Amino acid sequence: MKKDRGKSIATCRMLKKYGTAFVLDLPPLRFECAKTYAVIGANGCGKSTFARILAGLCENEAGKSSANDWTGGWSVGFLPQRSYAFHMSVLQNLMLNRGADKPSTEGMKRAGELLAALKLTELRRAPAKKLSGGETARMALARLLMQEYDLLLLDEPSAAMDVESTLLAEKLLREYQKQTGCCVILITHSLQQTQRMADDVLFLHEGKLVEQGSAIQVLEAPRTPQAKAFIEFYGR
Amino acid sequence: MSIALEKALDLIFAGDRTLLQILAVTLRMSFASSLAALLFGVPLGILLGSARFPGKKILIVLNRTMMGMPPVVCGLLCFLMFCGVGPLRRLKLLYTVTGMVIAQILLITPIVAGTMEPFAAAIYPDLRETALGLGLKKKKLLWLMVRESTYQIVSTYLLGLSRAMAEVGAVSMVGGAIAFKTNVMTTAIMNYTNMGNFTMALALGIILLAVSLAINITISALQRGTGQ
Repeated sequence: MKKDRGKSIATCRMLKKYGTAFVLDLPPLRFECAKTYAVIGANGCGKSTFARILAGLCENEAGKSSANDWTGGWSVGFLPQRSYAFHMSVLQNLMLNRGADKPSTEGMKRAGELLAALKLTELRRAPAKKLSGGETARMALARLLMQEYDLLLLDEPSAAMDVESTLLAEKLLREYQKQTGCCVILITHSLQQTQRMADDVLFLHEGKLVEQGSAIQVLEAPRTPQAKAFIEFYGR
Repeated sequence: MSIALEKALDLIFAGDRTLLQILAVTLRMSFASSLAALLFGVPLGILLGSARFPGKKILIVLNRTMMGMPPVVCGLLCFLMFCGVGPLRRLKLLYTVTGMVIAQILLITPIVAGTMEPFAAAIYPDLRETALGLGLKKKKLLWLMVRESTYQIVSTYLLGLSRAMAEVGAVSMVGGAIAFKTNVMTTAIMNYTNMGNFTMALALGIILLAVSLAINITISALQRGTGQ
């Protein structure tokens, strides 16, 4: 583990309403470091709202909102569904997340490793705005991984990626987790990705946590009819 | 027509004193009003586009209505405020360049805000989530917002400037088109045409078109330069 921190974080109840309708109503949860959690569920079930509340970007109507409030110092890195490519080169986009105004040798080295891992080396000088959707998604992931976080929140990081890029991204994430011992919360639609990446699974349905358990248990033998229907529909 | 055009070009290249004076007043008024409108309109547009607050939709509708306000209506309102029985009569703004600048600010600020608002609405939510998701500080976020908006702000400014230069209704009512004092290119074109002095009117028209062309070339160059 890279630094002193608690081995887990406990969230408080999460609540989000739009008008009178509940978009999200989750009980307190616990997340452990060095583990990967997949949050699955159909469109509109509240997965992104859950991630945005955890990242402190969306108000939790039940009280405390960000992971920092709960954990007393876990650093949180959040990759939104639509990551913004800044009007600068791919390399400069990565260096933006290095803190220092002037690029350091260490930062350049790290950027080079990440670009190579995601097959973006040739595009390092290209304007980030000119990248395709999949390339932008890879750049956004590389940019996030320039820093070490205790909690990584990834909202459908590979939605725009092809199969090869998805596998590269997953490999990179596993290496990052191994090096930093961070906790990863992965919002995904892909059950295949869930199977490859997740230790535990949280299944959301209409803003509620319907099922939670190990990835094998939830994917192989879901207990609730909603989870069963979802897994059967999306196939494994 | 061709003789008038020839004489107009002679006037421009000879640096006619009256022509230069009209040009100076026009530039002074246009730069002052467009810069002030930029200062008010850009933050207002960003606020309307990116912030959430009660009454925001009403403000957007009001701003859009103001964008379409006829210049003569704006001129009339300013005239009524500044005239001898108006509430601001003590400021003695009627028939002054300052009064014309105020009228122009009222006309251009909604246009600046209305141009910035959809831009801010389109990029700021994603930009904000991305920057804060990376853990960047609010100061850095603000710097990024300004950096990402530079092209839009400059092109919005140029739009405001060209609008200020081309405006005639409000400035003629508030400024009175007094020779060597408040006469600007548009009001002068109108006056010279009414007097039958087509040479001078054409010369001013050519300058006005040249300025408009220069502004559009600048915008296009900026677009190419920033890849937007």
